[in-house]
Amino acid sequence: MVSRFSGALQLTDLDDFITPSQECIKPVKIEKTKTKTGAKIKIGENGYFDISSGREQKLKKVEITLADCLACSGCITSAESVLVTRQSQEELLKVFSERKYTDNKGVTNDVSLIVISVSPQPTLSLAARYKLSSQEATRKLVGYFKSLGADLVLDMTVAEDLSLLEAQEEFLQRYQNQQNDPSGTHLPMLASSCPGWVCYAEKTHGNFILPYISSTKSPQQIMGSLVKQVLSRNRGITPGEIYHVTFMPCYDKKLEASREDFYSDMMNCHDVDCVITAIELEQMLESSNKSLNDILGSELDWPWSDSEGPPSLKRHVGSGSGGYADHIFLYAAEHLFGESKAQLIYKNLRNPDFREVTLEKDGKEVLKFAIANGFRNIQNLVQKLKRGKSPYHYVEVMACPSGCLNGGAQVRPITGESGRELVSQLEAMYSQLPLVIPSDNKLLRKLYSDWLDGRDSDKAKAMLHTTYHAVEKSDIALNIKW
Amino acid sequence: MTVKTSRGALWRSFRRNQFKTEMVNLELSQILTGHKGIVWNVSWHPQGNVIASCGEDKTIKLWSKEGVQWTIKTVLVDGHQRTIREVAWSPCGNFLASASFDATTAIWDKKSGQFECNATLEGHENEVKSVAWSPSGQLLATCGRDKSVWVWEVAGDDEYECEAVLNAHNQDVKKVAWHPSLDVLASASYDNTVKMYKEDSADNDWTCVATLQSHDSTVWSLAFDNTGERLATCSDDKTVKIWKEYKSDNQEGVIVNDKESVWKCVCTLSGYHTRSVYDIAWCHKTGLIATACGDDIIRIFKESEDSDLNAPTFDLMCTKLNAHTQDVNCVKWNPLGNQELLSCSDDGEIRLWKCSE
Repeated sequence: MVSRFSGALQLTDLDDFITPSQECIKPVKIEKTKTKTGAKIKIGENGYFDISSGREQKLKKVEITLADCLACSGCITSAESVLVTRQSQEELLKVFSERKYTDNKGVTNDVSLIVISVSPQPTLSLAARYKLSSQEATRKLVGYFKSLGADLVLDMTVAEDLSLLEAQEEFLQRYQNQQNDPSGTHLPMLASSCPGWVCYAEKTHGNFILPYISSTKSPQQIMGSLVKQVLSRNRGITPGEIYHVTFMPCYDKKLEASREDFYSDMMNCHDVDCVITAIELEQMLESSNKSLNDILGSELDWPWSDSEGPPSLKRHVGSGSGGYADHIFLYAAEHLFGESKAQLIYKNLRNPDFREVTLEKDGKEVLKFAIANGFRNIQNLVQKLKRGKSPYHYVEVMACPSGCLNGGAQVRPITGESGRELVSQLEAMYSQLPLVIPSDNKLLRKLYSDWLDGRDSDKAKAMLHTTYHAVEKSDIALNIKW
Repeated sequence: MTVKTSRGALWRSFRRNQFKTEMVNLELSQILTGHKGIVWNVSWHPQGNVIASCGEDKTIKLWSKEGVQWTIKTVLVDGHQRTIREVAWSPCGNFLASASFDATTAIWDKKSGQFECNATLEGHENEVKSVAWSPSGQLLATCGRDKSVWVWEVAGDDEYECEAVLNAHNQDVKKVAWHPSLDVLASASYDNTVKMYKEDSADNDWTCVATLQSHDSTVWSLAFDNTGERLATCSDDKTVKIWKEYKSDNQEGVIVNDKESVWKCVCTLSGYHTRSVYDIAWCHKTGLIATACGDDIIRIFKESEDSDLNAPTFDLMCTKLNAHTQDVNCVKWNPLGNQELLSCSDDGEIRLWKCSE
C-alpha cells in the first residue's frame, strides 16, 4: 500500500511495521498499589487481569494517542489503532450521527454545529476522479457533507488570504532584521504551511532549522481559529460545541491539527477536530455505493458578513500549494525595491521540483526565492543551509513532489494513467479557478479591526502565528538498536 | 564458533561435489591483521593494487603491497563515530566512500596529498549499511536501516546533491549495487526482496522498476555479472539465486507488461550453505562466483559448460572449510581478474586467497 503521508514523514517518523506494543518507547504511567509479593497477572481471553488482591481486576489497556506520538522522538506509528482514534472517517460519521465528540484530552463535548472547511486541492482531486468541473464537484461535495449532517460547509479562501498577508509582512520584518543583524537567523524564511516538512524539521534538524521557518500559521489552522473564535462568537455558542472538520490533500494535516500548539486550554478544544482527505472521501462514497456524480449539489455557505458574491473555490497567483513564493516575492519587490511590476520567471534547477526566481536591480540580484518540493529537494536545501551555501531569501518548501496538488492523500491515478498526467490535469484545473488577490479581500480588513485589534497586534500574533519545538532525541537504552 | 555445520550436511555436500571439489583450489596467500574486532568490508582499488578495509573499530585501513606482503599504509580515523559498515572505491580510484552506523557516508580523497574526508553525505535517519558508486562515477547510492535507498549525484567540488530518496522497501535495506555499465541500481533488503531502480528522464525522478521476490528471508547481498543481464543474490534462507533479465523483445516469450524488462529467478543454489549467506561476488573476468557464509566457509561456484541460459546450472567447485574462524562477512574478487579473492570476518582478520583451476 502506498502511504498517504508525505515522503518526509515516511522516512523519519512513520513506521507501519512497528506497532506501539512492540517497540514504543513512550513511558506510560501505570497506577498501582504496593504489594509485598508483586503483582500476579492472569491473561484472559479479553484482556489482562490483576489477581494479586484475590479477585480478578481487569487491567486498563494502555492507549497511545497521536498527540503522545507527536511529543515523542521514537517512532510515529501510522498503525490504524493510533490514527483512527480521533481522525478517521468512522469517527467523523459517528460524530455526524451522535452529535458529540471526545477530543485528545478525553473531554466529551456535545456538538451544536458541524463545520466543514474545504480546501481547493482535494476538491479538484475529486473533480478529476469523477470527471466533474471544479464548480460541480464543489457543489456536490457540499451536498454530500450536508447529507451526512454538516451544518455549514465553507471554502477556506479567507484563511488562505490571511496566511499569505501575514507571511508577506513576516518576510519584510525578517528582511529588515537581517539588515540590522547580519549574523542572525532571520533569512532565508522557509514556508510553514506543510506539516510534513515542519514535522521533519522538528524531529531531524531541530534548533538549527526551526528559526528559519515562518511563524505564520497554515491556512488550516487559521481557519481553525476563525471557526472556533469568530464563528462561535457570531453564533453565540461555545467553541467546544463546534465540531470543525477540514478537507485536505494529505494525512500530514491530521498531525498538524493534533498539535498541542493548536489546542486552547481556554476554550478546551482544538482549532480543527478532524481532518478528512480526498482518498478517504472517495472511500466513504464507495463504501456506501455512491458516486459523487449522483449527489444532489448544494451551495457553499458564507457565515461572515460582507459577502462579495457567492462563495466558491478560488486560486491564488503562483503554485498550487498556496502561492507563497509568488506572493511574498511580488510584495517584497514592491515594498523593498519599489518594483511594482516584478516579473516572476522561474528557472528549473536540477529537477522541475526545485526552481528559483530572482529580482535584479541595477544588474545586481537583490531577491532570490525558490520553490523546493519533495523530500530529495528538502535534503539538498537543508544541506545547503548547513554548509552556509544557501543563496535564498525565501523558500517555499513542500514535502510532496509537485506540491499540494500531489498531496499524499489525493485520489490515486486510475490504472493506465501516470501520476504525472494526473498532476498536470489538476494543475490545469487549478489555473482555471477564479483568481483572488489577498489584499483586495474586504473581509480581512474587518477581521483585522474587529477580531484581531489591528495588524501587528498581540492578538493577531497569537491568532495567526505559532511556534515550533525541536524534538530531543532520547538516548535511553531501549531506544538503542543495533 | 567452531562446529556450525552438521556432519550430515557437510557429508551430503561433500558427496554431491566430491568429483568437483578439487577442480578449483583456494590457497591462502596472506592474513592481513590490524583491525580490532569485526572486519565488515573490504574494497579493491580499481587498479587492484590497494585494498581498503573497515569495521567495528571505526577505522578505515588502506593496504598496499610491499614486496610480496600487503601492509597497512594509511589508517583513516575520526571520520565516523560508529561502526563503518562498507567502503567503496570510486571507478576512477581517486575517491573512497565509507558508510557508517553513525548515519553518515564520508567521501575521502587525496587532493591535498594525503587522504582526507572532504564531504559528508547526511540524510539517512540512522545506520547506513551500504554504499556504491555507479559505473560512471557520477552517482552514488546508499541505503540503511531507515528502509530507504538514496541516490546522490557528484556535483563537483566536494558537492553531492541528493537525486532521489526511494522508499520502496518496507524493512532495513542491507546492500546496494549498480549495474556494471548502466545507471540501474539494485538493493537487497530484510523484507526478503531485491528492488531495481532507474531514472525517469521525464522528470529526473528515480522510480522502482522491478521487485525480485523469491527468497524466504533477508537478502544480504547481490552482484551483477559482467553483462548486467544477470544478478546473483544471497540470503539468510541459505540459498543463492540467479536472476535473468528478460527484455520486452525476448525470444523466450516471457511477458513484459508495460515495462522495459522483467527479472526472473532462473536458478536456486540450495543445500550448499548451512547458514546465512552474507556476501556474494561474481567475477567479471572469470565468471566465478564466491560466497561468504555464516558457517565460516568460502564457496566457489562455476557455471556448467552446458548451462542453459533460461535454466542455468552452477557447480560447486570449492568448499574452503574454516576459511575464517567466525562468520565470513564479505568476499571480493580482484578487479584485474587475476583470481585473487579477499575475505574478511567477525574474527578480525582479512584473508587474501589465490584461486586456481
